[in-house]
Amino acid sequence: MSFIELLGESWPRFLSGMGITLELSVISLIIAMFIGLGSCLLNISKLWPLHFISQCYINIIRGTPLLVQTFFIYFGVTKAIGFTMTALQAGIIALSLNAGAYLSEIFRGGIEAVPAGQMEAARSLGLSKSAAMLRVILPQALRIVVPSVANQCIITIKDTSIISVIGLYELTYIGKQIIATTFRSFEVWVMVGVFYFIIIYALTKLSKLLERRISLVQSEDSQSA
Amino acid sequence: MSRVKIRNLHKYFGKNEVLRGMDLDVAEGEVICLIGPSGSGKSTFLRCINSLEQPTDGTVEVDGNLITDKHAKLDKIRENIGMVFQQFNLFPHLTVLKNITMAPMHCKKMPRAEAEAKAMALLESVGLEEKANALPGSLSGGQQQRVAIARALAMDPALMLFDEPTSALDPEMVGDVLEVMRRLANEGMTMIIVTHEMGFAREVASRVVFIDGGVIVEEGPPAQVFGNPQHQRTRAFLEKVL
Repeated sequence: MSFIELLGESWPRFLSGMGITLELSVISLIIAMFIGLGSCLLNISKLWPLHFISQCYINIIRGTPLLVQTFFIYFGVTKAIGFTMTALQAGIIALSLNAGAYLSEIFRGGIEAVPAGQMEAARSLGLSKSAAMLRVILPQALRIVVPSVANQCIITIKDTSIISVIGLYELTYIGKQIIATTFRSFEVWVMVGVFYFIIIYALTKLSKLLERRISLVQSEDSQSA
Repeated sequence: MSRVKIRNLHKYFGKNEVLRGMDLDVAEGEVICLIGPSGSGKSTFLRCINSLEQPTDGTVEVDGNLITDKHAKLDKIRENIGMVFQQFNLFPHLTVLKNITMAPMHCKKMPRAEAEAKAMALLESVGLEEKANALPGSLSGGQQQRVAIARALAMDPALMLFDEPTSALDPEMVGDVLEVMRRLANEGMTMIIVTHEMGFAREVASRVVFIDGGVIVEEGPPAQVFGNPQHQRTRAFLEKVL
């Protein structure tokens, strides 16, 4: 069987695996954004219990491997509480908790990178602290963090391959399956790699586009308008 | 009636006492210029007036509102006190127009049309109406500072604080900003200005206050402070800067 024939034959399964990988990535990352922003706001709070909760969460996630977190959620938590969840659900929980912790630190860095004078100017106009945060600080912080957030998205997309260990039919798992029947490891892993590369390269381009769109430096023509 | 009443103001940064008991009364329509060497505490003093710095001790009253009170409604009181910063601090993600309309629309619930009309009138008065839709980053320092003044004025403050408003500007930009401030003073705005522009202070101030080492060393009409300073420290400072 030639490379082309192999690709042609396994194409539908690769596509379904890529679909699951994308589904897992997109849902996890969306949830992770909310978790990250929430944890970040707790973290910068002046109330120490809120800061403490966020700090515990971030340290636990950063201090343990994603593989262990995944097993813990899929086997450990379900056993302890006595209910079942699908591999996809467990994967989404593990990945969103994992990425959320890193995003929380990225967001905090972004907020702290906004000059202190911005908060002072907003407060001096009479805006409350939360209004100043929402209208002045966060919009600027989000611009600052776009490259780092894109980077975290890339890491999380690649981390979806770890979820294959609990039997989710995503791209890496499909690759292993195809090898089990065809014994063509070299070609199959190249194909799996190419599929991941396509997703991530597209995301990289998207992030560059976004960076340009929200840039605060006006281009020549929009300035004269 | 006095617009601002400051009594026995003390401020520590850690163990460092920056303000060592300052008193000041400012009457309506007065223009006060705070001068003094860098590190003398004049900026800290100014920032205590709208509570950007919390004084360690002492009281600040603006228009009868005790801003140093624990339960003071800070946001409400600050609506009444405009502030202009050395680094302009315009919001870089918003157009010039939105920089000006944000506070009136958000804090005073002013309808958009009214806020925009007001903002355009203010921009016209500082000579920048054609920049309404530009982002601050595309403006020169002098233009940004004039927008910052317009932004503060949009809240109809009873008092304007200026923290070295021309110190970050290229020399050729200083004149435009001072011109706007001069006009504001002539219109009767109560102003407290930290400045190194001695010529401006001499011409526009109703009172000059010389601060050194966290205390008010000397104050009086500009002719007196500049022409016949009473204290050795004032004389030494003026010799260096004039």
